[in-house]
Amino acid sequence: MLEHVRFTRNRREFLRDAFCGFGSLAMADILQRESLRAASTANALAPKPPHMPAKAKSVIFLFMAGGPSHVETWDPKPLLNELDGEPRPKEFGEAKYQFVKPDAKLLGTKRTFQKYGKAGIEVSDLFPHMAKCVDDLAILRSCHGDMVVHSAAQYELWTGRIVPGFPSMGSWVCYGLGSESESLPAFVVMPDPDGALEAGQPMYGNGFLPAVFQPTMFRPGDRPVLNLDLPQGVSLEERRKTIDLIRQLNEATLNPGDDEFNARLKAYDLAFKMQTEAPEVLDIRNEPQETLDLYGVGKEPTHDYGRRCLLARRLVEKGVRFVCVVSGGGPGNLQWDAHDDIEENHLRMAAQTDQPVAALLQDLKRRGMLDSTLVLWGGEFGRSPEAQGGKGRDHHNLGFTMWLAGGGIQGGQVVGATDAIGLRAVENPIHFRDLHTTMLHQLGLDQDKLNYLHLGRNERLTQIHGRVVREIV
Amino acid sequence: MLLVGVAAAAAADARKPEYRETERSLWSLQPRSQPAVPEFAAAEETSWARSPIDAFVLRKLAENSLRPAPQADRVTLIRRLYFDLWGLPPSPADIADFVNDSNTDAYEKLVDRLLASPHYGERWAQHWLDGVRFAETEGFEYDRHLAGMWRYRDYVIESLNSDKPYDEFVREQIAGDEIGPENHETLIAAGLHRLGAVRRNAGNQEVASSRNEVLTERTDIIGSAFLGLTVGCARCHDHMFDPIRQRDYYRLQAFMAATEENNIVLATEEEQKAWKALVKEKEDEIKELRKKLDELSGEEKGKLHQKIRNLEVSLPDPLPTIATVKNDYENQTPIHVLERGDYSKKKEQVGPRVLGVLLPDGTPELDAYRKNLRISLADWLTAPDHPLTARVMVNRIWLYHFGSGIVNTPNDFGFNGDKPSHPELLDYLANQLVAGGWRQKPIHRMILLSNAYRQSSDSPVAEAAVQKDPENRLLWRFSRRRLEAEEIRDAMLAVSGKLNPKAGGQSIMVPVDEQLVELLYKPAQWKEPEDVSQNYRRSVYLIAKRNLRLPFMEVFDQPAMLTSCARRQSSTHAPQALELMNGPLANGLAEVFAGRLRREVGDDPAQLVERAYLLAAGRMPAPGELRPAVEFLKTQPLRELALAIFNLNDFLYVN
Repeated sequence: MLEHVRFTRNRREFLRDAFCGFGSLAMADILQRESLRAASTANALAPKPPHMPAKAKSVIFLFMAGGPSHVETWDPKPLLNELDGEPRPKEFGEAKYQFVKPDAKLLGTKRTFQKYGKAGIEVSDLFPHMAKCVDDLAILRSCHGDMVVHSAAQYELWTGRIVPGFPSMGSWVCYGLGSESESLPAFVVMPDPDGALEAGQPMYGNGFLPAVFQPTMFRPGDRPVLNLDLPQGVSLEERRKTIDLIRQLNEATLNPGDDEFNARLKAYDLAFKMQTEAPEVLDIRNEPQETLDLYGVGKEPTHDYGRRCLLARRLVEKGVRFVCVVSGGGPGNLQWDAHDDIEENHLRMAAQTDQPVAALLQDLKRRGMLDSTLVLWGGEFGRSPEAQGGKGRDHHNLGFTMWLAGGGIQGGQVVGATDAIGLRAVENPIHFRDLHTTMLHQLGLDQDKLNYLHLGRNERLTQIHGRVVREIV
Repeated sequence: MLLVGVAAAAAADARKPEYRETERSLWSLQPRSQPAVPEFAAAEETSWARSPIDAFVLRKLAENSLRPAPQADRVTLIRRLYFDLWGLPPSPADIADFVNDSNTDAYEKLVDRLLASPHYGERWAQHWLDGVRFAETEGFEYDRHLAGMWRYRDYVIESLNSDKPYDEFVREQIAGDEIGPENHETLIAAGLHRLGAVRRNAGNQEVASSRNEVLTERTDIIGSAFLGLTVGCARCHDHMFDPIRQRDYYRLQAFMAATEENNIVLATEEEQKAWKALVKEKEDEIKELRKKLDELSGEEKGKLHQKIRNLEVSLPDPLPTIATVKNDYENQTPIHVLERGDYSKKKEQVGPRVLGVLLPDGTPELDAYRKNLRISLADWLTAPDHPLTARVMVNRIWLYHFGSGIVNTPNDFGFNGDKPSHPELLDYLANQLVAGGWRQKPIHRMILLSNAYRQSSDSPVAEAAVQKDPENRLLWRFSRRRLEAEEIRDAMLAVSGKLNPKAGGQSIMVPVDEQLVELLYKPAQWKEPEDVSQNYRRSVYLIAKRNLRLPFMEVFDQPAMLTSCARRQSSTHAPQALELMNGPLANGLAEVFAGRLRREVGDDPAQLVERAYLLAAGRMPAPGELRPAVEFLKTQPLRELALAIFNLNDFLYVN
């Protein structure tokens, strides 16, 4: 049937006919030029040189979702304990919260602080392991953002905007630098298996940047990457044959100078490579017992976060550009979102994460990777100096703590300060945009040059210019 | 003294024009011209330039010493037309009929048949929905599902299918509730104003901030979708490039100062009462069970969790609802110019006025408290001589047919946007749209019947042409394109014979990786249909949920539904290959496709391969394709061949 329906001639054949005898030379020329032109678009994830000399190659963001309390962790406030149960003295000014009313009483902390490291930096007893790494940490006590509710604050932390729809910092970084790994995704998010966060998927997304810069969301368990597994009942050997057939069929009509189709062929090779090589990277069982113990893998309550931190190191080691390891998910109290009982919540969340985070820093350092890996710790905001319902703390965006380590950051120092009750960043305030600018700077990216034309505007990660936190770079 | 000084300043201010001549000279703001259709001398040229479109295209080609490609063969043309107008592949019988039709008007008949089918609306609605960032959920933390928002999608499909005049289409969306407060169709159309993301949360709602976010969404989309101007750039400061002042932005916003959400429940009071009682009963039960959660641990706790989830999923569907807007004049928002767009930094109050650059200097604002302001906005937008509305729309139509627009920045007709490659053609088409009563189908027909559209995607002048016009803006050939995400899924369904052609109605939540559902803040929101045949509906009927996009769609460049997308990306990367090789959709449908092949042609390997090619690529396999495929079938299951077919360039691309 339909014998007269001739298959589409391939382009080479077409051109040969079209140009009759003198075709070959001219054609070779076109093919070469076409490939030159398309080379810039075909592999958007090819590694790209930074705008300026870079100190960091990769980023690991330890996202303490829900908002860890600064006054329980990195920012001791003796006055808060003295004023426990009192209303906030007027001289500290106003603050808007999500739930806590203006007449709420201040809440002191039960945590104790000790000095650690060469610089004698005070760290809370929630973090005995991290305390030992304090010489590597630049503790930013004056962070602040614009929004006091989770979703909007999470968007601002990730995308620089308080509404969804803009690319996340992970997507921007991959857009700027490409990927060093062919067999692994460039941008990985490892959510907490306890569940989702308020801002949902759009917080991590590529926004209006091309789909190639989208995050790969890891699933819990041993096979975290969607579609990396073969369907049930299909063997790798069998599938290899199918892929070979796909190549044969696609090559049968291929014009050798067709860059888009060549890029498609390459995508299949890469996909197969991911399928065969990534599982090995994702399998932590071949790590020495000492390393597993360091991260607290195989024991509770550190197993899960430890496993994911260890994976983060393995990914960065293989050239993955941006990895986020989320602590917290699902209902508020399974995040750092301690509305009801700050003690119960933070003791639990800290116990899950303190050892793994410290292990990650030590492990990166002993492998010589910390210098090129920027590690960021923190949440979308901190918590209120006032009590919520007696024992809890509400959200609080006017002053809180995050820290940076590695990637050329000068550790062992505290930058900025909040007022005496931890209400407001009063010294050297650091907005999310400043944090973003500093991160880009360490990666050799300039906030202005890293832009993308969208709906008439050259959009950037920082809507309003940020500044580099000079003290720490 | 002081008073005199103020008066003098005011007088000086009055003499200073609101907009400079250079600003008013922006090409897209000029009245449309009545361009003369180019004429040609040579016989070869006159025969190609049969229609005005071709004449305009040919002249540009000739000016650049280029010439058009030969006409594509019928097999290519029918596949091109089917995907372009329906987003579906032609069946082998359709191809045979067309190829064998010896009538001289075979092509015209095919175009008319495709345009008359309801599938046309299903395909072209997606373009419009992208442009207005259609979604049925509000985004942010709750990502609340808007009951009845799907009706807006059906409204767009039906409007396209009935060839509703574009001016009416615009009026209904901008002011449907004002035009027909009792008219379901126009109320649904005004659902346009509900499509932006909305932040809701417990506790402090930040009402003023949230209202500002909503008004921003509603203002910006009018700029992008209808005006083709980046009006949103003027929210924080005067536009950097275009004659849009910050004040213009807020004056535009002032048309919507009284616009509020309105959910109209289409049920009797009794029905509503019964529904509420049922919901309350289940919610109470859930609340009780939740209390017990803390007492349990391990397996017991898991079981209870599951029970609660089941109950949540079993909450009754919302009652039939129209998600629209209404004017609430008593509570209308006073609109101020906001310093840097910050809602807490109010400057002077402004009233409604359309873009000043299109008005004589000094045109006063309308009364801010006048009724039915949006009708006057719609009247302005749809005036036959509006310089932008018709141009912007015909440019979109052109773009979706050819892959690039006459203006290649379809949402930016400003100074910083692309200049039209064929300005006279753009005006010609816009004039035709307006003169033809704003009907779109005649414009489609004119474009589809042109020789420009019928060109091959291969060109004998490729050498010179690539050098002069690498992006093929001048149309020296037809531009090959990859299918869009929805088209790939729909084509896989059609080719495997699984497509459920049912049109319209509530959106479908197809089964998706469980872990992705768990990443929702409220996983119980994801409710799969009981009737599994619903899972095989066309992609336009799948739910547009902001916080859970299907990985298949995402990987093939579906836009994020948060900002207007007038032109999709077409990227190539490894996760697409993983999706098409290992994804559940591709593998499930490969199995079904294999079954169909076996049923239709039996066991003969060559016939199986030929049938597969014909169904999926619309053509017979070349010898170089037939041989390895037949060889493959000697040892490998047919399912794997079917999967390979889904991965063919000639399945995924249209020439």
